[in-house]
Amino acid sequence: MVEYSFNNTDIERYGRWIDRIAGVDHAIAICDAGGAPLWINGNERAGRLSEILSANAPGAIAWSRDTTAMQRHEIDARHVLLYVALQAANGSDLGGIVVLADHFDRDAAPIALDHIEEALQDVAAALRDEHYAQMERLGLAEELSERYEELHLVYALDARARKADVTSELFENVTRMCAEQMAVDVAAFIYPETKLTAFTAVPSKPIHNLDLVIVEMRGDLFRFVSTSGASLVLNDKNDLKRPYVFTDMPYKVLAVPVTSGSDRIVAMLVLLNHESKANFTNSDRKLAEIMANQLSSLLVIYDLLREQRTFVEQMAAALIETVEAKDPYTRGHSERVHHITMEIGRALGLPADDLENLFWGSLLHDVGKIGIPDAVLCKPARLTADEYTFIMVHPERSYEILRHIDRLKGALPGARHHQEKYDGTGYPHRLKGDEIPLHGRIIAVADTYDSITSSRAYRAGRSHEEAVREMKRVSGTQLDPAILDTFLKLCEAEPSWMGTFSIRREEKSG
Amino acid sequence: MTRVLIVDDEPHVLLVIRLGLERAGYEVASARNGQVALELIRKSPPDMLITDMNMPVMDGRALCEKVREELKLEFPILVISTIAEVEKRSWVPPISNTEFFEKPISLRQLVARLEKQFGRSSATVGNGNG
Repeated sequence: MVEYSFNNTDIERYGRWIDRIAGVDHAIAICDAGGAPLWINGNERAGRLSEILSANAPGAIAWSRDTTAMQRHEIDARHVLLYVALQAANGSDLGGIVVLADHFDRDAAPIALDHIEEALQDVAAALRDEHYAQMERLGLAEELSERYEELHLVYALDARARKADVTSELFENVTRMCAEQMAVDVAAFIYPETKLTAFTAVPSKPIHNLDLVIVEMRGDLFRFVSTSGASLVLNDKNDLKRPYVFTDMPYKVLAVPVTSGSDRIVAMLVLLNHESKANFTNSDRKLAEIMANQLSSLLVIYDLLREQRTFVEQMAAALIETVEAKDPYTRGHSERVHHITMEIGRALGLPADDLENLFWGSLLHDVGKIGIPDAVLCKPARLTADEYTFIMVHPERSYEILRHIDRLKGALPGARHHQEKYDGTGYPHRLKGDEIPLHGRIIAVADTYDSITSSRAYRAGRSHEEAVREMKRVSGTQLDPAILDTFLKLCEAEPSWMGTFSIRREEKSG
Repeated sequence: MTRVLIVDDEPHVLLVIRLGLERAGYEVASARNGQVALELIRKSPPDMLITDMNMPVMDGRALCEKVREELKLEFPILVISTIAEVEKRSWVPPISNTEFFEKPISLRQLVARLEKQFGRSSATVGNGNG
């Protein structure tokens, strides 16, 4: 509700108006609802009126607030106070107009009294009308500023969504924006099916166990919101819904469902505030719902992309399977090289689009092996020079196969040049040092490691330590020393893939 | 009391910003174009100027230039403008101590921005939710 008195009203104008009508003999004041004068005219009686008003602080003279008729109150033998109450259109008390006049003798001066009453009524009506207009204007402005808030949010969201790829990072950006925009302690976007959880915490006070809080959201809170299908606002600590939602959460909660294309609720947006912050209001709920609608649209795109991505990955997996079916001993090689390559790429701090290219390049680097005759590929003995030629063309063959796929354009250099050697003695193009594309040099490190540690047709896989020794030996001749360093640093942290890929380890001596 | 001058040719923008800032405890004056604003600033400079970009008679850019170059006044300026216009970065060369603010205005963010500049105002600050 809008609180407003006469702040924006030129009260003096009304004062001067009464002044002119009533004549110079009267002291006049316009008072607020508390009885304090907002305006008082300037003649010699004004001082006396001020005294009376302050001595009779609010309510001392029991003016009736229920009538708009003029009331009178005898002060002493000489003076009388006249009073007209000011009422707002909705009946609320705005104060009154007070006139200190010489004692009117009803019989002697009835006309003067009527004259003043009429004037005061007119002014009171004008004040009331102005107040009403102000209230209306204020209400409109209030409404307008809420619409602005919504518009601002939609524009800001739109501007960000338009420029960004629809990835999980986008959802993080959107929740961050949401937290800033709504000045909440925590904003979280929760999509349980896909394990996608994006959240931002800018707490006014620290939040304990935020991880646990998020887990609880994914469980009970999401079940509640998706079942009820409506926004949930929990301000009151003792709200009866609380036990269904959180076992132990002292926060104020605003949770809004997010639908997928088909009206099915698949996700939700949750805003949390500490108890010390203001309650979530209706306008907050509306803003959050607008945000949820935008998130819904993003989610449709996100799901489509995810589906497409899954499809592409499955196609790639099928392709790799075709190659690896030819040689049971290389089973899992592409996947392992891919995994280690990505770890190196991330450790090198490559940007996202670079990593994406590295992703496909490392996964598909060996598809060209499809062109190697089985007799050569699976030969459990040393290859002849002629046979080796088949091996040497496989990266070029990978390139020829993959170049038909536009999306893999950026992945081609890595796949084509993963067999180049740092000193320029590799194949297919005998590139040297930095001439070798970065992705090729990275994949070469991962590829070398896996070749040594995995079993082949003619030998068992060797240990991690042996691989490291061998790789250090060929550092600068076969492998890029800088990338090898990064790889060796990774290994020091005993990464989980050593277990996953069952890499053999040497017994620790001593 | 911190004094803010808002300049915009759209009366509803003036109304909303005025309402929000007055409630947050600022003294607000407004003008419908750069020319009028310049006269007000000449008489008594505000603590901050918030101005639209595109206006009749004198636009925001010209107003800011006159404030800095002719009047040699360095109070902070917020230029309110659509995201698209802000992205175009059409304000070259830049004007000192000037920041862009996205339109449509979010009062919450505007009040927060002013608080950053002037500290929390003494008046009771409503959160704009009534």
